[in-house]
Amino acid sequence: MNKIAIQTNDLVKTIPQAGRELHILRGISLTIDSGESVAITGLSGSGKSTLLGLLAGLDLPSSGSVKLFGQPLDGLDEDQRAALRLGRVGFVFQSFHLLENLTALENVMLPLELGTQTGDRTALATQALQQVGLAERMGHFPNQLSGGEQQRVALARAFVTRPQILFADEPTGNLDRTTGHEITELLFALQEQFHTTLVLVTHDETLAARCQTHYRLVEGALA
Amino acid sequence: MNLLFKHWQQRWRMPELRLLLLALIVSVTVVTAVGFFTSRVENAMQAQARQLLGGDLVLTSARPLDAAYVQRAKTVGLETAETVSFPSMASAGDKLQLAQLKAVSSGYPLRGDLKTAPAPDAPEVASNGQLPAKGEIWAEARLFAELAVQPGASVTLGRSTFTLTRVLTQEPDRSSNLFQLAPVVLMNLDDLKATELLSPASRARFNQLFAGKAAVIKTFQQALEPQLKPTERIRTLEDDLSSVQQTLQRSGRFLGLAALLSVVLAGAAVVLTSASLMRRELPAVAVLKAMGMSRRQVLFDHAFSLLLTALLAAVIGVLLGLVLQFALAEWLSRFVGKDLPAPSLMPIVTGVLTAVVLLLGFALPQLLRLVNTSPMQILQGALQRPQQSLWWVVGCLLLAVFGLLWLQSRDLPLAGMLLLGLLAGTGLFWLLASGALRLVQAFGKRIGAGWIPALGRSRRAVLLVVVFATGLFALLLLTTVRTDLLDRWAETLPADAPDHFLINIQPAEAEPLTRFFDAHAVKLNLYPMIRGRLVEVNDKPVKPDDYENQRAQNLLEREFNLSSFAEFPASNALLEGKWFAKGEKGLSIEQGIGEMLRFGIGDKLTFDIAGQRFSDTVTSVREVRWDSMQPNFFVIAAPGSVTDMPQTLITSIHLGDKKPLITEMIHQFPSVTAIDVGVILTQVRSLVTQAGLAVQGIFVFTLIAGVVVLIAALQSQKAERRREIAILKSLGAGRALLRQRIWGEFLLLGALAGVLAGLLALTAGNLLAYYLFDLDINLNLWPLLVSSVIGSVLVGIAGYWNLRGLLTVLPLSLLKS
Ligand SMILES: Nc1ncnc2c1ncn2[C@@H]1O[C@H](COP(=O)(O)OP(=O)(O)O)[C@@H](O)[C@H]1O
Ligand SMILES: [Mg+2]
Repeated sequence: MNKIAIQTNDLVKTIPQAGRELHILRGISLTIDSGESVAITGLSGSGKSTLLGLLAGLDLPSSGSVKLFGQPLDGLDEDQRAALRLGRVGFVFQSFHLLENLTALENVMLPLELGTQTGDRTALATQALQQVGLAERMGHFPNQLSGGEQQRVALARAFVTRPQILFADEPTGNLDRTTGHEITELLFALQEQFHTTLVLVTHDETLAARCQTHYRLVEGALA
Repeated sequence: MNLLFKHWQQRWRMPELRLLLLALIVSVTVVTAVGFFTSRVENAMQAQARQLLGGDLVLTSARPLDAAYVQRAKTVGLETAETVSFPSMASAGDKLQLAQLKAVSSGYPLRGDLKTAPAPDAPEVASNGQLPAKGEIWAEARLFAELAVQPGASVTLGRSTFTLTRVLTQEPDRSSNLFQLAPVVLMNLDDLKATELLSPASRARFNQLFAGKAAVIKTFQQALEPQLKPTERIRTLEDDLSSVQQTLQRSGRFLGLAALLSVVLAGAAVVLTSASLMRRELPAVAVLKAMGMSRRQVLFDHAFSLLLTALLAAVIGVLLGLVLQFALAEWLSRFVGKDLPAPSLMPIVTGVLTAVVLLLGFALPQLLRLVNTSPMQILQGALQRPQQSLWWVVGCLLLAVFGLLWLQSRDLPLAGMLLLGLLAGTGLFWLLASGALRLVQAFGKRIGAGWIPALGRSRRAVLLVVVFATGLFALLLLTTVRTDLLDRWAETLPADAPDHFLINIQPAEAEPLTRFFDAHAVKLNLYPMIRGRLVEVNDKPVKPDDYENQRAQNLLEREFNLSSFAEFPASNALLEGKWFAKGEKGLSIEQGIGEMLRFGIGDKLTFDIAGQRFSDTVTSVREVRWDSMQPNFFVIAAPGSVTDMPQTLITSIHLGDKKPLITEMIHQFPSVTAIDVGVILTQVRSLVTQAGLAVQGIFVFTLIAGVVVLIAALQSQKAERRREIAILKSLGAGRALLRQRIWGEFLLLGALAGVLAGLLALTAGNLLAYYLFDLDINLNLWPLLVSSVIGSVLVGIAGYWNLRGLLTVLPLSLLKS
């Protein structure tokens, strides 16, 4: 396994807007080791989500380079980047983004269905749901679950493929304090258990403090 | 594959996919039902055409054919036979019936076989070359019923009385049989002369049938063709399409176009549902792409779901269509008295293609956007729809609509015109609907109902009104045309309008016949009827090929009726020139025929009347009311100018309750044919009613499609509504108030659609009445009321039913998702 999970060099993201360039990220260089937990904090609009997207290869930078699992992303098209993520990367979002027409179990099975993964998908997904304490709610649809429960399903969905990297964008942002705390505990427990590299975007300083490394973004640059 | 199927099943939980299926089913059902039905009618016509000739080659004419042709055929070794057919009265006791008389020579039929039965309900047997013996006739079962006789009864035809021996069940050349209303009576040609039914001016069809080796037939035909007189023709299959058949063909087309309206409406539902389906799938696709899903997988996944839906819709739609066409065929067989042959399988293809075209043109462009969804979006607060140029979407739509139109009409220019008409119609409805909503908005402001103004601004509300009004309009227009127009037409006829036509009166019978009716206080105006073919205009020969217009060609090929009398017909109007003064010469023509054949005042017309030439100059142009129940003529010659030409006389009389006189008259004047207008009127009425019902049945589908679009439109704006209701609730609006608002809004929209549809149907119906049927404007406001009630009830129920779930949800949870 690679020692380095993600490496960036002078990442710049600009967006043309109303005739002039809008600078969202201005020259980000960082290295994230395998198994490391990294927090990215900053004010709303400072470019955290944009950076996360670039690190995960969801988008390409305007200049600079990203290496994911040692593979430079700049020569790859959207599908090749997707193939690189497949099965090796998990996501947790602020607003959960579960599929509404799918039960909890089916939502968790989704990542397994994308790959060529063999084995009993139902068993794996059930196991993942047990790990987040939702064994009883497998057949429920997202609108029958509370926010905390939905995020647990999302965690199960993110970890079911045993990913090498987990990207989390403000996973507790939509939850009240207690529930957010529970989710944080669960997230770090799972990360530890599977030795997952964690890239966590948050504006919660206490959450950031639990990570090994902490980057602060201020107006698109690392402070 | 399993996974794709599983994903389809999971999508099935979304109401959008179910709506999509419903919309597709509606279109496939209506297209296949109409397709199956018209194909059965066409098959019936073709099956008939195949055996129609009764020989390998048939020569036909409205005049007796030259016996030399038969002689020639015999010398080259061909078999020959002759037939003569014409309408005539058949009587038994005091019962009378108009029959289609067919006198045949020995040898008939040269191809195919006759089938007969000993009694109306007995099994049929092949006649094996047997024909009615002298003094005997065979007739279709209908004649037995109408005359209330059994085999062995005496039936009078003209001057002769025959024994009715067998029931005719099938003749190979049943050309005019299937769709003809008078029963066929078969007699021996040798008996014809004695009946005295046939005079040189009688309206009869003379046929010579030839059969033999294909090569001999071919050389014979080639030798024959150049020598044929203008009235003589080699009979082709199309010749015998009766007017009823033509009507059926046309109404088949009309049914197809009516079906299209449902399909196009269903298309609107497909667009709406696939748009909201896409909005729903957007975050899912972004999430899945972040997890590593490739674009190809996205495409396959969605294309598979769509295709499976289309397939399912096709199967269900075809089955439903099959059931439905049975009802249509049942309707038809009731009035042609025959079962229709099985349909071809082509409509299945059309039905499936319709579903596929709808999906490709209406849904796929929307869903293809998903393929290009950026996974990055999932990290950004608000999801944006992938940009797609409007032209591309509209282009796909128009192309698909055009494809559907073409699929249905099989006629490119027609499809183009229909597309334009559709766009114009939609535009008109759209303008009217948004205008009406603006009015309602202004009104709402004035009475201070705060929620009403919002309606006027919403494009969705306009869409809703347009769609629903279209469905209602189609249905209403037909109802008014079907019931209203016919009644209004019948009302325009005066109470003493003629109820019988007497035709085929020989000149020698004019005197005694007038005396006969005088004795019973019935006034008789006899008009001569001369059959002539127009051969020259201003001394230049006219040929059918000179005219583009099909009707003009037909007119020139056939002979038309001339007359000659002194008194200007009361039901006509003089448009140009002067009616004949005493002793003057000249011709008076009907306006339409002059326009069609391009002649008018001052032109010299030359007619061929049974071989004699007759010419004169046009001195007046008349407008004719064809529905006046008076004998009408295209061309009237000055009195006295055609007295020496072969002719019969025609008249129309009002008998009222003196109807039994007809029986008495036929006994005295057996060769006169009486046509009961009442009977024809009833037949026309029932034909129109039934055809109208069939088309209306199709328009019910338009309404169903309208409801589907309505639900689709409601579904597509549900998220918006959800937010709106949440805001209102957080502002303290109670459930009762919200319910009241929802009902109020949809009842109003529905009523608006209904009023709009009613007004347009009223306008269109009256325009039709005025321009096409020459009827007066009649403002029957019932449809308006009915349609606004139907509209508001349907839209109100659909709207409330769709949104009721949102009422019980807490404001917080509404806002959160
Ligand atoms: N596609 C885009 N188009 C326009 N502006 C964008 C786009 N993506 C991000 N931005 C802008 O860039 C800034 C940073 O966005 P984001 O990375 O989402 O910030 P954060 O996640 O830290 O709140 C914001 O001001 C946002 O409006
Ligand atoms: Mg963010």
